[in-house]
Amino acid sequence: MPRLPTSLLRRAYALDPYLPALLGPCRDLCAAQNELRWLREHVDGVAEKRRARGGTLARAALLRELVGKRARGMPLQYILGTEWFGEVEIRCRKGVLIPRQDTAASISHLVRFLRDAPNLPSELRVLDLCTGTGCIPLLFAHDFYDASSRPDLRILGVDVSEKALELAAHNLERTRKAQASVAKGNISFLQADILLNPFADQTEGPPSLKTALNLKRMPQFWDILISNPPYISPKEYWKTTTRSVRGFEPKLALVPPPDAAGTDTEQGDAFYRPLLTIAQDVEAKIVLLEIADLDQALRVGRRVREMDIYDGIEIWCDQPDAHPNTAAEDPASDSEFPIFGTGNARTVLCHRGQGTQWLQRTPSPHAPTSTPADTTEDCAHISHDGLEPSFDKTLLHAGDGRPFHERTLKSRKEPVDWEHWTGKPANAAAPWYTKEPRLGRR
Amino acid sequence: MTMIATPPWICRVCLSRLVRQAIGRPTRFYANATKAAPNSVPRALVERARTIAAEHRQLTAQLSDGFNARAAKQAGATAPVVSALQTWDKASEAVAELTALIHDPGSDPELRELAADDLDATRAELANASHGLVTALVPVHPFAHLPCLLEIRPGAGGSEAAIFAGDLLRMYQSFCNRTGFRATLLKYENINGTQEAGIPLAEAVLEIDQENAYSVFRCEAGVHRVQRVPATEKQGRTHTSAASVHVLPSLNENAAADENYDDPESDYYIDPKEVRLEVMRASGAGGQHVNKTESAVRLTHIPTTTAVSMQDSRSQPKNKEKAWALLRARIAQLRREKRDEEMVAMRRSVVGVAKMGRGDKVRTYNWNQQRVTDHRSGITVHHLDDMMEGGQTLEQVMESVRSWLMEKDLEALIADEEADTKK
Repeated sequence: MPRLPTSLLRRAYALDPYLPALLGPCRDLCAAQNELRWLREHVDGVAEKRRARGGTLARAALLRELVGKRARGMPLQYILGTEWFGEVEIRCRKGVLIPRQDTAASISHLVRFLRDAPNLPSELRVLDLCTGTGCIPLLFAHDFYDASSRPDLRILGVDVSEKALELAAHNLERTRKAQASVAKGNISFLQADILLNPFADQTEGPPSLKTALNLKRMPQFWDILISNPPYISPKEYWKTTTRSVRGFEPKLALVPPPDAAGTDTEQGDAFYRPLLTIAQDVEAKIVLLEIADLDQALRVGRRVREMDIYDGIEIWCDQPDAHPNTAAEDPASDSEFPIFGTGNARTVLCHRGQGTQWLQRTPSPHAPTSTPADTTEDCAHISHDGLEPSFDKTLLHAGDGRPFHERTLKSRKEPVDWEHWTGKPANAAAPWYTKEPRLGRR
Repeated sequence: MTMIATPPWICRVCLSRLVRQAIGRPTRFYANATKAAPNSVPRALVERARTIAAEHRQLTAQLSDGFNARAAKQAGATAPVVSALQTWDKASEAVAELTALIHDPGSDPELRELAADDLDATRAELANASHGLVTALVPVHPFAHLPCLLEIRPGAGGSEAAIFAGDLLRMYQSFCNRTGFRATLLKYENINGTQEAGIPLAEAVLEIDQENAYSVFRCEAGVHRVQRVPATEKQGRTHTSAASVHVLPSLNENAAADENYDDPESDYYIDPKEVRLEVMRASGAGGQHVNKTESAVRLTHIPTTTAVSMQDSRSQPKNKEKAWALLRARIAQLRREKRDEEMVAMRRSVVGVAKMGRGDKVRTYNWNQQRVTDHRSGITVHHLDDMMEGGQTLEQVMESVRSWLMEKDLEALIADEEADTKK
């Protein structure tokens, strides 16, 4: 990182003695000024509250302390305790990933489609995996109920970290108090480890998603699956993340757990295969997965295409609602998947069946003619009524020695090319789900 | 995309004044401008009426095929001319028939007598019809339907002029009270710069907030001259001073409609396609790699290259919302300024700002003779007290000026028409 020019530091000091310290993490005078203003407002707010309770506060001392913290790289969101995620204010705490604005843009864009969607079910079910602060369920409910009364909404946020779930519950309560629209949705949170094989014996640690859903008597089928999983490979973690991310945000939420057999890139992508398998199991009609960049988006997109059950795969950028202004900015021209918006590639969206209708897309010509999703549509509806989920039956018969996921995939017409997925022969190393259950992933 | 509706034509008064200024003839208000014989309509005007009628027929035919808002509006605007022309045609035909009958040596004497009796009534009818036709042909002033602002300022003559300006203000106020116009004093400033009454006036703006007020008060614009022994005069000399009156159309009547963002007619309407949204973002990887606090949003309105950036809030949607509000306000301001400029150009042509000296007076108030003379219509009245109380006399004077204005319009129209036919 280039050194800050002395002239800039001097200019900053002339404006405010606190500014040079903030220039370190901000790198930009304008941003530093904004942050200092927000810090001041925060200090004023704290002092106001303290005075209301009859205490006093040395404002200057507090401000100096906070600026010092920020200068050492602590994220402003942790210092102030909140971050805006779309139009929802989310509380942030150390140990839980700070919500990113790019994620909010994608979620808002998706909800905008769903608000105009035809034939929505009477209860729309949304599953958010790796929910963290619970920001995605809250924003989804907020945006969805913003305009008028809608079908019922049931959102489940899942995370492995107890800290995150605690904070998510707190955020839910907080947002419900502040915004009546969020109170209408049925939002809940659940602890589960989505990387765990649902069939492995397990004695301790968070259960697998299937088990957790069963235990809590949650529905097995969900309409929409959203996830912002850890997606940074270890090498990128040291190379591209900023100091305040590395130093203060939980690595658990950023980098997938190490996999002895995988390469660096594979470790970065480690979450997408289980996520897609879960999406298939819960029969999600729309799947929205956040990714790091275009390369990862293409890897995930190809993986989705090989599953051959989705009618369409799209890549959304940082601003999915913006139209590219120039042809040069438009990456969609020579991409194998349609790309929407401007900025870095941010999410991969897959849709099928009813999901394609909701998004008002036309199925791509090379989409599977008779998707398994269509055949299972009816039983999905039956199980929506609270009958015994069909999944458990297959679980009972899972005794033929093959991994469950491989079996279900193989039962489709085309066998899955494992070599293409992993870059190594299928039997060279055991897939992730045949391994020993991971107990502590930290 | 321009939001400002430019009138499809310029009013005759403005045109004729412009022409007069361009030629450089000394401006003078003529008393008793050409009074055309009451029952004759100049040929040029009749021809004009016939063209308008032909156009109207075309428009009606077009409208019978399908509705077209613009055509309908135009047809509605020309309808009075057409009906006036019909009445005039009928009347003039009747007169011609009767005259022919009278002058025909072969006709029955009894019949001739009857015709002669009828002729007077028919002639009167024709006169009415002519007047109707002429009135219908004179274009309505583009701002005639608007409420207006009446601005009074003292001119040459020092504090006496200021006292007289105050007298004029009281005159108009009581006139509005009497005739039922809603008038509000927007601004009142005496020569000390305060708002205390009873001290000579420095500037007053009276808003007459009623439809058609502009057409009523339009005739009052100009320099009003006063000849009297001022209250401040010690030696009993008569002074001549002046006060100027500006009458401006008031355009803020659709302020409520401005707030509607979705209405393309509104100043505040912006086509979202014309706006480029830029979110300041760090270069390089985004997403989980950085926890940026940048929430700045910049909007650029491409046609006017107006840019607005907003970074007050930590929430990007809030910044975006604020930026939109600001952009709307800026664009609306731009549009208003542009429209105001056009208006100013128009008003300049309506009220000659340069012509505000004592010499270019439109009316003289003479206290010694208890007389008011309007130099445009040439009317002289002697009820000065009634006049200054905004009574019947003022109404009479205003009426005479209005008909004089109409005549001027008509004259210009005829000249215009003749020039056209010569070409």
